[in-house]
Amino acid sequence: MLDSDDIGRRRREPAKRAARDEIDMNDRGPVRMKPPKFDYHAPDTVREAVAVLADVGDSAVVLSGGQSLIPMLNLRLARPTDVVDLGAIDGLANLEPVDGGLEIGAMVTHRQMETNDLVASITPLAQHAAGFIGHRAIRNRGTIGGSIAHADPAAEWPAVLLALDGTITLASAETTRTVPGDQFFEALFTTAKRPDELITSVYLSGRFQNSWGFSEFQRRTGDFATVAVAVGCVIATGAVVEARIALAGVAERPVRCPDAEQALIGTRPGRAVDAAIAARDSFEPVGDCHGSTEFRKRLVFAETKRAVTQALGPDLESRANA
Amino acid sequence: MRDITVTINGRPMSATVDPRLLLSDFIRQDAGLTGTHVGCEHGYCGSCTVHVDGASTRSCLTLAVQVAGRKVDTVESLAPDDETLHPIQQAFEDCHGLQCGFCTPGLLMSVAELANTNLVCDRAKIREHLAGNICRCTGYHQIIDAVEQALAEIREVQIDG
Amino acid sequence: MVESQARRFFGSRVSRIEDDRLLRGRGRYVADIELPRELAAKFVRSYEAHASVAEIELGDAVEAEGVHAVFTGADFADSEIRCVSSYEGFQVSAQPILALDRVRFAGEALAMVIADDEYLAEDAAEMVFADLAPLPVVLDLDAALASDAEVLHDGWTDNAYVRRAVKTDGFDKAAAGAPHRLTIDLRNARHGAIPMENRACVADYDRGSNRFTLHTTTQVPHLIRAGLALAMDVPESQIRVIAPDVGGGFGVKAQLYTEEVACCLAARELGRPIKWVEDRREHFVASHHSREHRHRVTGYFDDLGRILALEADIRVDMGAYSVFPWTATMDNGMAMGILPGPYKIREYSATGTPVCTNKTPYGAYRGVARPAACFSIERLIDQIARHRGLDRAEVRRRNLLGADDYPWHSPSGLVYDSGSLAESLESVLQLGEYDVLLTEQAEARAQGRLFGIGLVAFTEQTAHTHQEFKQRGVPIVFGYETAKVRLDASGTAVVSASIHDHGQGLETTLAQIAADRLGLDLDKVRVEYGDTNQVAYGAGTFASRSAVLAGGAVTRAADDVAATLKEVAAHELEAAVEDMVIERGRLSVRGSPVVSIDISELCRLTYQRPERLPEGIEPSLESSRTYDAAPGTGAYTNAAHLSTVEIDPMTGKTAVLTYAIVEDCGPMINPMIVEGQIFGGVAQGIGTALFEEFLYDENGQPQSLTFSDYLIPTSTDVPDFAVAHLETPSPFTIGGIKGMGEGGAIAPGAVIASAIEDALSHLGETVVTDLPLTPERVLTHIDQAIAQGEGQ
Repeated sequence: MLDSDDIGRRRREPAKRAARDEIDMNDRGPVRMKPPKFDYHAPDTVREAVAVLADVGDSAVVLSGGQSLIPMLNLRLARPTDVVDLGAIDGLANLEPVDGGLEIGAMVTHRQMETNDLVASITPLAQHAAGFIGHRAIRNRGTIGGSIAHADPAAEWPAVLLALDGTITLASAETTRTVPGDQFFEALFTTAKRPDELITSVYLSGRFQNSWGFSEFQRRTGDFATVAVAVGCVIATGAVVEARIALAGVAERPVRCPDAEQALIGTRPGRAVDAAIAARDSFEPVGDCHGSTEFRKRLVFAETKRAVTQALGPDLESRANA
Repeated sequence: MRDITVTINGRPMSATVDPRLLLSDFIRQDAGLTGTHVGCEHGYCGSCTVHVDGASTRSCLTLAVQVAGRKVDTVESLAPDDETLHPIQQAFEDCHGLQCGFCTPGLLMSVAELANTNLVCDRAKIREHLAGNICRCTGYHQIIDAVEQALAEIREVQIDG
Repeated sequence: MVESQARRFFGSRVSRIEDDRLLRGRGRYVADIELPRELAAKFVRSYEAHASVAEIELGDAVEAEGVHAVFTGADFADSEIRCVSSYEGFQVSAQPILALDRVRFAGEALAMVIADDEYLAEDAAEMVFADLAPLPVVLDLDAALASDAEVLHDGWTDNAYVRRAVKTDGFDKAAAGAPHRLTIDLRNARHGAIPMENRACVADYDRGSNRFTLHTTTQVPHLIRAGLALAMDVPESQIRVIAPDVGGGFGVKAQLYTEEVACCLAARELGRPIKWVEDRREHFVASHHSREHRHRVTGYFDDLGRILALEADIRVDMGAYSVFPWTATMDNGMAMGILPGPYKIREYSATGTPVCTNKTPYGAYRGVARPAACFSIERLIDQIARHRGLDRAEVRRRNLLGADDYPWHSPSGLVYDSGSLAESLESVLQLGEYDVLLTEQAEARAQGRLFGIGLVAFTEQTAHTHQEFKQRGVPIVFGYETAKVRLDASGTAVVSASIHDHGQGLETTLAQIAADRLGLDLDKVRVEYGDTNQVAYGAGTFASRSAVLAGGAVTRAADDVAATLKEVAAHELEAAVEDMVIERGRLSVRGSPVVSIDISELCRLTYQRPERLPEGIEPSLESSRTYDAAPGTGAYTNAAHLSTVEIDPMTGKTAVLTYAIVEDCGPMINPMIVEGQIFGGVAQGIGTALFEEFLYDENGQPQSLTFSDYLIPTSTDVPDFAVAHLETPSPFTIGGIKGMGEGGAIAPGAVIASAIEDALSHLGETVVTDLPLTPERVLTHIDQAIAQGEGQ
């Protein structure tokens, strides 16, 4: 699966004669389709993997399922000196219920997320969202850890992670630390993960299992989201007491929308529309060949309204069709 | 360079490969199995779809070194012999589910996966399953006909068997 | 004269002969060919749309691992691709094999790296640096024609390849006298064929015989040979072009490309086979684009909605160079000719301008200009319906040609041979259940849903030969195809043809024809194509012509061979030649079926027992014939399409719900294959209607370089189809066959535009004029319709 904000949509420079060092012929001349050379490492354990990362540092990349990384390699948009393949490491593809939520190994595939019963019962939002990722062959190999490390702002997992109050566990040669999702995604393809760190697992809360919604605008089945909205709510005695709304495709990183979340708290009817308006007015998505800013804002409205309506259900959101 | 051993269409094969070599190129060039076609090399068209340990995989989005020790099956593995086609292949022939034949091997491997995991599908489900295999010739209708026929055929054989 | 002969396979849904190998992964495509000692080629391409080439620095590329050579423009400066139209005033472009002093589109090849494999060739290509000084970029065809526009080729006066005009004598009077007129401006986006197989070629040069062999992904091997001979100044006899299995063409593989010339020249230079496999990103910039038309059409009509005169201005953005063999005027000529479409329009005035811009050169794509022409005339008909307050079907009924109007001499000079337009319209209304749909639409609207119905009738010019191509000003007039039929000594027929099959099923349909003519089983017929050494000359496969022309040539050649068989058999059986009946693998005496002889035995006799042949009969069972479907004006297939769509009112996303087709392509050789061609064409047309567009930024940088940005319809974007057939034979062709390969792709843009406009018509008025109908564009139409409705 390609990264829609990266491939074929390079920065445009004004038409001036470029000096040699200003032009990356590869970046601008559309001719590369084979990976560049790199050194390959296939460690058997996490300990070995982080040792390699500590050793080679910044210019290494981690290969998990490869469904984001390998297209980048083929197009030579990524040029790592070293590739650290996690494929030989056991124990990174487990799913475990922990504290009412779900601990998900970094190498768990999208397909596992789509079909696993634990995912369906504890984090049904995640199970539902998994079906939107690419196509079956992509879901068979692509992993949740790989997607989150890649941090594509239009990808599903980062938004789902934010909506389900997720955390990310990172291992390095020195230590292991857990970072809340809200602090993890920093910028375009940029996260709090240091180059010497490895994502070992992801944790998703189970407290949203009774009230969740997910809606995504795809041009075609399996395409990257133009806009996707993930909603997790906690409802107590008929009132929304906690709401998390996360969006993909609206900014350079996956983001929550506090104004839209605030609009959901309580019992007031007509909240889906209020949240949708709040979300629409909160972002200025960058336009590109798949749609202008104005168009994307309308998608934000549409998909927020749909996701919230799904989360609250017809009883709580009787005026959802407003 | 790296030494790998892969079981390809049931036969173990050892090779020394550059780690950057794509599985698609390994299959076509090192293994000489040119039935796997390369249409985009960025994971969108589905022409290069093969099975790795039974699961459909884009061979252009996989490095050859990643399948070391694994089982790779390509379109050449489907038909039991030179006289008989696999029921999926036969259905594609019967229903005119192919024209130029370029996307066909990848499609067949995707359908084979469907037949292994979900034998009861309506046309909409079949369409959804195959949305990652672009065919520019057929307009899909006759492919969907073929998949319906193949799944019914395979169901029948399983019941009889 | 073609003798009647029992049809056993013609008309039946036989499975395709080629399927077995393709399904087993045993097809042999160009990328699968591996010649001993071959090297891999990779091209360095321009990152500017328009620039002068200051310098190309090879840097470390020459010394890089595995590199054998790096070529630049000067190395191949003796060759170029130049395709000159015979139209008066045509301005000639010359496309260098590798850029010389100037590049004219982003993606134009600057250098060619030859290395041991593709990986190493890419590594070295990255080391080449081209120092390019940007020049003003001409991207838009209006801007290109502005008086102050940068002129893109030396010696040109402006950026029009040519300017053309046609006008009927009575046009001015009819237009002036018409009670109503309507003008609309229409745009079709630049997009393309995008077959799943990228282009590829393997060139080999034999220094001993000075001969080239080029394996290449082409639909037109003989034309590639002709083009290479011109480009390299080598006799055609020294070039063999082989097109093995080709993974889809749809027109984009019907032109000569610079890479084919470059690989031949590099192979001669290095004395080793050179293989180039285009990658998908290259394909988006270096393989020819299509479809970018802008039309302004004006209809002059009466109170009943009948068109009295039609006026059109047609401009096509042909990109940077005129392509071989079509020139840069092909789309323009076709559009000017066919725009009046299936309607009884007598007065017509049209102007046409193919325009040169800094974009990828423009080649053929299924339907060549007919999708844009159909879009224009059908959009106009819909607007006339609205203007007159008439049902869209009714306006069409009032304007369509009737059965009595054939042969119809169109106001643009075409001769429509036959057809069933009115019948196909009524049939598609029935097949698509138009009445039911109208009820469904009313219910949908009551629920606030946006549900629309689109309807289109059209005529597809097919199998046109010399008369048409002479008029289009092409340097090589594509008039005929060649077929050779030979029976071998064991009784198998080998049919060799100058056409090519890349999915159309001709390997099977030509076998069906030959089997019938020779009384053989299908498994006793083998069809070969795609090798210039097999038959002397021909053009190839394009323009819905191969079944008609190759089918006719096969019929003729097979009949020659059958005649010889009858002579030999009559002699053997001691009967009269006129009494010989050929069927089911035997020749027998009419009325005495037991007096017979196997064809295989006759074949053995002919070749191996020459002493038993009748006097005057040579030991040869072979004939090579051509066929040109005289008078060469074409056979006209017609069709009507009816589709429904539903639009998401919040996002503008359009789903195609149903699609019905009634097509009349004359007698069908294989209805199953005909349906496959129709469905495939319609799916491509859905791409035209909803998805496909090559976008550029303001500097001419292509924006559509991957399948994530260039969207091809997938299985969930295309509905199930309903199809029905009519079979009106052509009076002009052998067997009455008409072509039909392109038809499916012609109408969908017009059908879906009509359906989307219809879905919004209860909200207010909006006129759909631009394709593709992306969700964003559809939202704009929704806004316009609502605003117009509220303003009422």
